[in-house]
Amino acid sequence: MDYDKERGMARNLKITVDYNRCVGNAMCEQYAPNTFGLNDERQSYVKDPAGDPEEMVIEAATNCPVSAIKVEDADTGEVLFVEENF
Amino acid sequence: MATAINYDLFTHDVVQDPYTYFGRLREEDPVHFNELYEMWFITRYDDLVWLTRHPELFSNAVLKTDPKPPAPAIEESDLGLYEFVRDFFGSFFIQYDRPEHVDMRKVVHHYFNPKAMESWRPLVVDVIHGLLDEAEEKGSMDVMHDLAVPVPLLVIAQMLGMPNRDRPFLRQLSEQLLFIGRGERDRMKPITEAIQELQEYLGPLVVERLDNPGDDLLSVLAHGEKTGVYTRDQVVANAVLLLLAGHETTINLICNGTLSFIRHPDQWNLFKQDPVKLMKPATEECLRYDSPVKTITRIASEDVEMRGGKVLGKEERIRWVISSANRDPEKFPEPEKFEINRYPNLHVAFGSGIHHCLGATLARLEGQEAFRALAERFDSLHLATDNIEYQPSITFRSVKSLPVTWN
Repeated sequence: MDYDKERGMARNLKITVDYNRCVGNAMCEQYAPNTFGLNDERQSYVKDPAGDPEEMVIEAATNCPVSAIKVEDADTGEVLFVEENF
Repeated sequence: MATAINYDLFTHDVVQDPYTYFGRLREEDPVHFNELYEMWFITRYDDLVWLTRHPELFSNAVLKTDPKPPAPAIEESDLGLYEFVRDFFGSFFIQYDRPEHVDMRKVVHHYFNPKAMESWRPLVVDVIHGLLDEAEEKGSMDVMHDLAVPVPLLVIAQMLGMPNRDRPFLRQLSEQLLFIGRGERDRMKPITEAIQELQEYLGPLVVERLDNPGDDLLSVLAHGEKTGVYTRDQVVANAVLLLLAGHETTINLICNGTLSFIRHPDQWNLFKQDPVKLMKPATEECLRYDSPVKTITRIASEDVEMRGGKVLGKEERIRWVISSANRDPEKFPEPEKFEINRYPNLHVAFGSGIHHCLGATLARLEGQEAFRALAERFDSLHLATDNIEYQPSITFRSVKSLPVTWN
């Protein structure tokens, strides 16, 4: 990650929302407003995986109260954030 | 001909078994107007989720907005106290709509995120084992008094940085505040008294945190005053909210869940095979099957036509019923069955939408570790009474006590 940062290149992120968990708390939209939006069900969806810097996306995933957001490196498949609180 | 639906929600049969009453409403009249309380009751899962996901139509500022006198009715001479109580409870961040709500929530939201809460797990485990050691020496326990109350109370008091010696005092005042969900005509008196005592207690603590902030939750909240999000009065009120919500509902989770296990020995035996693996789904099922909170209120911001055609008029009061939604057969297969492996289990015990319970992760963690510890210690638990009595509350699903023995 630091290597990419030094080169000024952002990784491509694969961001997924688990709809068996998402409760529409909408805090992801607060922490990374250009990445997450709300769909017709008022649940989270990824409107642009490159909308915000990686740190903001991780912050949004970390603050999901039901751990519904998973973040991976789209090219290598490396898992960058996943939680399972229940 | 079907019998008429009773409007009094404090009768013994409704308090003891809300599932039959609200289940019947869900089947027969899912958008139901209770004439006694002048209040709508929403009982289907889908309607509840839709309602909570449309905060622009259904306001949380119930106490501040409600043009009607309180329901159930109170003594007329206590209407002044009611104004004081509703001003105080109306300062809780959960009683605000956007945009204020999101700013107020963000001040404390990160404190409760799953990653942050996980760091409290070792303390929770230690506390539970200490309490169960004491119980084992005694040979019996009241799950409520000996486990369910002290665990979350100790944890939230520690988070807020309140001294251990103050816990009995805090518990007593919290119990008085719970009268907000009850029907006694003179209930404003104990509530007012508790608010005043807590304001006196918390005022100086908040000043201390403003002068000399630590990493405790009270400091986090007080920081919201420095950034202009909260007033001083709001800091104090929301500290009370965190204290109260931080333990009262978890008491119910631990008691109701333990009772569910006792009444379903097959699920208890299944759980005992692998408590570490099963404690998470099992806690979700405890939350769904006998939810700690029965109903939550909203007030309509405009006339809203519900599915089925009924119109909820502007400024009309609404209660959505978690207890019936979590047993809606349209959502949950065989909803009356307690199944600790149920998945998916998207219950609404913590509500849904932007007001989804701030402390959900903490409650989950405390429930998980309590059930796990019980399963790891005891072959089987037995009720030491034939008679489980519930508090006469419209809001909380609370047993009065839960005496058990084991072998």
